[in-house]
Amino acid sequence: MATACTGRGLSFLRSLTRHVRGTALSGRPPAGLHTSAALEVNKNWERRNLQLYPPQLPGEPRRAAEVHHCRRQIKYSKDKMWYLAKMIRGLSIDQAITQLEFNDKKGAKIVKEVLLEAQDMAVKNHNVEYKSNLYIAESHSGKGKYLKRIRYHGRGMFGIMDKVYCHYFVKLVEGPPPAAEPRTGLDQAQEYLLGLRSRTVRHSL
Amino acid sequence: MMSLVGLLHSLRRSLLHLEGKLLQSAGFDGHLAPALALNGPRLQLQPQQDEHLDEEQQSPEQPPGILDNIMWMAAPKKRRSIEINRTRRRAVEKLIKVKDNVVPCLECGHLKQKHVLCGFCYEKVRRETSLIRIQINAQEGGPLKAPATETVVLYEGEMPGDQDQDKRIVERARKRPTWFT
Repeated sequence: MATACTGRGLSFLRSLTRHVRGTALSGRPPAGLHTSAALEVNKNWERRNLQLYPPQLPGEPRRAAEVHHCRRQIKYSKDKMWYLAKMIRGLSIDQAITQLEFNDKKGAKIVKEVLLEAQDMAVKNHNVEYKSNLYIAESHSGKGKYLKRIRYHGRGMFGIMDKVYCHYFVKLVEGPPPAAEPRTGLDQAQEYLLGLRSRTVRHSL
Repeated sequence: MMSLVGLLHSLRRSLLHLEGKLLQSAGFDGHLAPALALNGPRLQLQPQQDEHLDEEQQSPEQPPGILDNIMWMAAPKKRRSIEINRTRRRAVEKLIKVKDNVVPCLECGHLKQKHVLCGFCYEKVRRETSLIRIQINAQEGGPLKAPATETVVLYEGEMPGDQDQDKRIVERARKRPTWFT
């Protein structure tokens, strides 16, 4: 009580409260405190699995089960991973695993592991009845945190080399894969025109 | 590294040379600009001028350095926009093609490509083969001791047949696998 009046006592109390506030928040550092770049990753894709819907009404069509899964900091290029992600978009999970098994790229093995993990999660945690009744709704790659190294050139010049890392994200949805409608060039042109015509001019007379 | 003076000299020479070339290509009957002996290709447009160049105008200056050479390195003129880059990277021929020649193996049921051996069956055979080889190495005892006869592998409860009289027998302590006929 008497020590609270002194400066040192006040700062001690403040540090205590800061510690308490820090532990109350789930994992995030308190606002105003500067952290290093390694701690500022966002886990939004993982948090999508925690979303809860209200119970469905009797007449409503059954909402399809969804699983979001990802793998972070894969030692691979995001541009190269994109080709694999693009290949498996819209396929059923068995087809996707088949295609990845017979692909020679390094990322194919990793993506296959992620898909199998996600399938396992879907059956165990997300109330999916048949593990084959899943299709890939979303699949994309993202840039991870790069390491920087020096690449030596001649004449005392140097370049900064990036050691690339990537993330891979996938969303599985229960049900048969939706039939892909072929979009012709004419459809694309019509959509473009529609977009142009539906523009609004703001602050006009 | 060139000295500043040398650099200025070569810059001046290259600028004059460029000027001359521009005038020539514009159609000017110009012996106005000083003509230098070039390492590049001769101009095909005006054959008369070439002869003149050869006879009269021998450059008294130094032979052209790297900076005067018209065959300079190619460099991109403008930065490629992301739209251009995307259309190139995502072109249909650069996407990975979906394979349609994957069938289940009739023996084990794992997937295989039509023209390739089943990986599971191959691995199964490879494992048994390595055990047979270990047995052979144990029998031989060292390198370069292979006998000059054929080898036959016999499993538990099997006797060498009529054709196996002159062959070296390798025994494996397990029952014969179904795929090994």
